[in-house]
Amino acid sequence: MRNNRAAPPWAHRWALPAMVLVTVFFVAPFLLNVRFAFSSWTSFRAEITWNGLENFGTLIDQDLLANAVTVTVLYAVLCMAIQNTVSLSLALALQRTSRINTIFRSAFFLPTLISPLAAGYIWRGLLAPDGAVNSFLGIEWAWLGEPSTALLVVAFIDAWKWSGLITLVYIAGLNSIPRSLLESATVDGAGPWTRFRRVVFPMLAPALTFNVAVTLVGALSAYDVIAATTGGGPGDHTRALNVVMRQQWGQGFFGSASALGFTVTLLVIATAVPLVWWLRRREVAG
Amino acid sequence: MRTFVKYAALTLFAIPWVLVPVWLVVVNSFKPAGEAAELGLGLPRTWAIAENYATVLDRGGYVAGLFNSLKVTVPIVLAVVFLGAAAAWAFGRSRSRWLQAAYFVTGLSILLPPSIIPTVYLLRALSLDGGTLGYVLTMTGCRLGIVIFLATGFVRAFPRDLEDAAAIDGASRRQIFVRILLPLLRPVLFVGGVILVINVWNDFFFALFLLQGSSNATLPLALFQFASGTLQSLNWNLVFAHVLLTTLPLVAVYVVAQKRVLAGLTEGALKG
Repeated sequence: MRNNRAAPPWAHRWALPAMVLVTVFFVAPFLLNVRFAFSSWTSFRAEITWNGLENFGTLIDQDLLANAVTVTVLYAVLCMAIQNTVSLSLALALQRTSRINTIFRSAFFLPTLISPLAAGYIWRGLLAPDGAVNSFLGIEWAWLGEPSTALLVVAFIDAWKWSGLITLVYIAGLNSIPRSLLESATVDGAGPWTRFRRVVFPMLAPALTFNVAVTLVGALSAYDVIAATTGGGPGDHTRALNVVMRQQWGQGFFGSASALGFTVTLLVIATAVPLVWWLRRREVAG
Repeated sequence: MRTFVKYAALTLFAIPWVLVPVWLVVVNSFKPAGEAAELGLGLPRTWAIAENYATVLDRGGYVAGLFNSLKVTVPIVLAVVFLGAAAAWAFGRSRSRWLQAAYFVTGLSILLPPSIIPTVYLLRALSLDGGTLGYVLTMTGCRLGIVIFLATGFVRAFPRDLEDAAAIDGASRRQIFVRILLPLLRPVLFVGGVILVINVWNDFFFALFLLQGSSNATLPLALFQFASGTLQSLNWNLVFAHVLLTTLPLVAVYVVAQKRVLAGLTEGALKG
């Protein structure tokens, strides 16, 4: 019909302000990071020169890199699992729009409004050795101080903070499933569990794709909750990549800090590309 | 019966998930330091509301933080929403190779994490480091992607006849944008705006690297500096008072607009 190939003369002009901002403040730093990650740059020697893989070598020699990658990946997986389990369960319970469901949705959305930093302080208080959680359970356990639970708890706090928003995305996904499909499944004799497994779950694919990708990728950049709770401890059990990056930056090792930032980027690419591809394929296969 | 069990379970879940955390913050922010250190959920034996909140306002940098948070959140949200809508219009209505490439790059900016250290370097080179303007520009550049992405889908799904008719009637591009496009994009821009407000108001990571000095500190940064300032053991009463005051503006807006926020997020999030 209409020839869309040729841009209307106004189009470039209207996209320009946004594109200038994206280019200067997102793309340019991204490209610079590729250079800085492989450069010697410290507060002691301001001149920036290529040094190949030296930053990564130093970080490996100091036993920082492998641990940070492991912690970050574990954190992201835990966070994604907790967040999606809680949010999908809540969404299934609160799918229908009724007055009482709206009240519950509203209540469960509240943590989303709290900053991750504040969420960290709140749960640090609740989970303190003499705090409310322990006195309810009748135990004394330093949830954030013990290597076995610190990472799990920190990931839980992050998941807690975001679950309200993810719940709403799942509700939107559930509500987009045609009712006729569920009705015909019921007529064919499918019970609730079969309906969920055979109809709801496959039809939920777009929302699931979105949520799993968003929660995983978001959690790879973990920093705020850790800063408010453990600061990376006990030992290095919660020292995620961004935590080490901040420490390196604070000590004046800007090149090494860039290398850590670049590692986060690589992890995001390594996670997002296959994940989106795989989930999309399953979505089509239904 | 099944309904009863469901809501009983939801209530039981909501108690530790929402109620207890909120109660802990509120009740302990009313206690004197020694009592709050026990981190109990009981009512204060001695009330110290006035002292605690006066201390936070006085030493916690709260007033300056509130002002700074408003000073960055408002321009970032406005810039992202309006510049994003303008770009989405161009992307949605044109298939020129340049614009398609630009749209792809914008999509990447949603997925990839921002490179914070080169950003500091770049802002220093532009003499924008440490201050509000550099922070606003950076956040705008890094957050435009999501709004552009959501809005472009909307523009594409909408036939262009109305715009063409208005153009034939002699309406300028700007008039068409304001009269036709913005109303059309309202639901999706509202969703984007809500997510953006929550995101920017609570941002700590960018602020930590890009805003220097307590005079520029936004609320999360002020909270962190205040909490870190009390060294080893936190003064829980003061930290919680600060947490409450930091969260309050957003919760206040939410209470007023919650119907629209929830409806917008559940109905508008996946469309387009």
